[in-house]
Amino acid sequence: MQNDQQRLSLHNRAVLTHPYKRLGGAFPVKSPSVPNFHDRVYPGHSSSDPALVNDDSILSGHPTAEPSCLGQASPSEHDGNLSVIDLYGDEVESQRVDDDDDDDDEDQDGTHSDDLDLVPGEGGHHVELDDVTAATSKSASADGVNNTHFDRYGFKKQNNYISKSEYDSWWGDYSQYCVRRKHKWQLLLEKSGLPVTDDSPARFPSKSERLKRYVRKGIPAEWRGNAWWHFARGQEKLNKNKGIYSQLLQKMKQIKKQNPNEKQVQDLDIIERDLNRTFPDNVHFQSASYNKEEPPIIKSLRRVLVAFSLYNPKIGYCQSMNFLAGLLLLFLDEERAFWMLVIITSRYLPGVHNINLEGVNIDQGVLMLCVKEYIPEVWSYIKPSIDHHQQNNKTFSPSNNKVLFNMQKNEFLYRLPPITLCTASWFMSCFVGIVPIETTLRIWDCLFYEESHFLFKTSLAVLKLSEHELSKTKPRSNSLNYSWTSNQRNGSMGQEDSDMEIFQVIQTFPKTLLNPNEIFEKIIFKRRFNLNRLDQDEIDRCRKFVAAQRLKFKTYGELLGSTASEAELTSANVNTDAKGTHITSDAVNEALSSEVYGFKKSLAGVHWNNSIKEKVKQMRKKKDRND
Amino acid sequence: MLQFKLVLLGDSSVGKSSIVHRFVKDTFDELRESTIGAAFLSQSITIHPHDGNEANAKDVVIKFEIWDTAGQERYKSLAPMYYRNANAALVVYDITQEDSLQKARNWVDELKNKVGDDDLVIYLLGNKVDLCLGTPDAEIGQESNEDGDDEQRVRAISTEEAKQYAQEQGLLFREVSAKTGEGVKDIFREIGEKLYDLKRDEILSKQNRQINGGNNGQVDIHLQRPSTNDPTSCCS
Repeated sequence: MQNDQQRLSLHNRAVLTHPYKRLGGAFPVKSPSVPNFHDRVYPGHSSSDPALVNDDSILSGHPTAEPSCLGQASPSEHDGNLSVIDLYGDEVESQRVDDDDDDDDEDQDGTHSDDLDLVPGEGGHHVELDDVTAATSKSASADGVNNTHFDRYGFKKQNNYISKSEYDSWWGDYSQYCVRRKHKWQLLLEKSGLPVTDDSPARFPSKSERLKRYVRKGIPAEWRGNAWWHFARGQEKLNKNKGIYSQLLQKMKQIKKQNPNEKQVQDLDIIERDLNRTFPDNVHFQSASYNKEEPPIIKSLRRVLVAFSLYNPKIGYCQSMNFLAGLLLLFLDEERAFWMLVIITSRYLPGVHNINLEGVNIDQGVLMLCVKEYIPEVWSYIKPSIDHHQQNNKTFSPSNNKVLFNMQKNEFLYRLPPITLCTASWFMSCFVGIVPIETTLRIWDCLFYEESHFLFKTSLAVLKLSEHELSKTKPRSNSLNYSWTSNQRNGSMGQEDSDMEIFQVIQTFPKTLLNPNEIFEKIIFKRRFNLNRLDQDEIDRCRKFVAAQRLKFKTYGELLGSTASEAELTSANVNTDAKGTHITSDAVNEALSSEVYGFKKSLAGVHWNNSIKEKVKQMRKKKDRND
Repeated sequence: MLQFKLVLLGDSSVGKSSIVHRFVKDTFDELRESTIGAAFLSQSITIHPHDGNEANAKDVVIKFEIWDTAGQERYKSLAPMYYRNANAALVVYDITQEDSLQKARNWVDELKNKVGDDDLVIYLLGNKVDLCLGTPDAEIGQESNEDGDDEQRVRAISTEEAKQYAQEQGLLFREVSAKTGEGVKDIFREIGEKLYDLKRDEILSKQNRQINGGNNGQVDIHLQRPSTNDPTSCCS
């Protein structure tokens, strides 16, 4: 009901504040909530609204900047500091909070006094989007921020998991954190000889431990598009493929001409169905109530997705890519969003969106291996139960026992634990819609800087954080209720039941991670967590191992006379009465289980070194302060 | 309390998630995000078994654990994980989309071939009847302004055609509207009753065993589950 009401109120508001007429040209090019459109650049576009095409705001920014968006500065008129303040719109208090700088040597920069200069001038220029009359300069008040239902990217603040007041109280602190971080970024870029003049830096320092830490603490929102593009080496990709995107759009036009009924083209049809189901709660993706004109971002989304399906027929279109492309379009222009989508689906998530989705299964196998290795305490909640093997198998032979033991070792790579039904979507959509938006964006920051192992690291961190909730679920295989599953007929009552509770936790808990720093401060920045040893090399090796194992299971499964279907490679294979099969399955499992993935073990010295390093750092900090 | 696992299958955008949300939260959003992978929800209902047996005349609480799946064809390879051990499957099609019934038929075939459980209750469900009601003028005027995607559409699949197919295959069948809620509660009540009927002997024997202390008190159907921490599930 609430949703409906909010939608209604949004429509009312939208009527009052027709964005096209009101805001033409008023927006900076690089603002986090203002996607760029180069509609006129690409031939695939045809706008039925002449006002749209003639409006300068098309090129300077997304005209439908949502009504509740926080104040936005026009960067050409202001220096960096002012635009920082304007973007976040909140009253920034002068006292410094050090929360974001614990365990960080950046304080040596002596930036404390600079931070004090960041107190917002009362005369900071804003476009107060909530109020038509305030389109000129006006200082955004905290009230103006708190009364809006949408965040700075146009997403709804409130949902089933986070109340408005929770959001507001978090954002009060977090927006200040963002201002401080942005200032630090500005200093870093200055020091690196890349001063920020127009609040849209295109170049960033070369990789370093410090830069990595800065990225992990969040890239300034309005720089994100450029920073992602830079760290993912997008320009390199684009340079190698100049003109391709335009060609794809031409092709798209032709196909549409030849098939006026898009239903005949499989991918086009599915894309069409998903366009309006991509961030329907985000104001940029909604059409105004008074007409049915498609918002420009939906048009871009269509072009990017169709172009992609033509560019890579092996993938075509896979549901979840709409969310990847949709989020990219909030930060990048269409062509760059397209190439970023290409990069994500090939470099970071290879095979994940392919027609057979095998990449998903491989990555889930890798994740399960990592959970088992790095957070065994969580593995105990989610690992597949051996119960049903044992209980299906009334006549337990010693040889079967051994088989079962061996199957335990690796079988979960093929017969993935049920929890992967939940975690698969974490990878497919790169956490879009899985965790709240600021947290998603922070993960994306790190993904583009640190590559795909960061998705695994984050997944492990989220699972680790959910441990407390998991511990509240009913102990496994000790259920007090009937659960009428087919398993139950074989006697393993209760397993499914506790699984359900675990599903609930794994599905729900991430949605409460409003504050990105939660994951980082509690897990990622803590050296004592082994999972932080996980690196890209480990993931690459692990992916190869799991892919090979899955292939073997599949092949052996076929040898054993089962079909290749995962559903059928059950314990039934092992329990067949035929003696010949017994031997075969024994041998097979023996063979399979002999290959166990070996994680790189950390040297005992590593921890010691880290702690020494830590101490030295602290001492240096102290010394600096005393000086 | 009895607990049953239920899975939703069907073509993309036929309204699987909307049906679940109507059932679980009694809400409807004109535009709902596409489901990636699958979503898990749960909801309980109370049924009144009418088997003529005095001893069993009391109400029975049934908890459904619902797997709502992504509709795109390629997600089919993940589907066995969802329908494994399911007690019931809702196979959904869109009465305004001709292809969607064929997709539903494919799902029914797959379920019958792969699950191999005679007790699996399959329910064929035609969604979006609200789009094909009469008096189009009044409705277009009122509603289409509010929701960008709303329009009156032509029915593409007749009730007769689907009904006949369901009868041939021994499926439960109903046409519903997730938008208005028409028929949605009935689906789950029917499934609950059907499953109760199918499992009655098993249930009664378990009850008796428990009463006679034959099972070391391990099973107690009267105990409530501890409340879950998922605000999306509103167990009644």
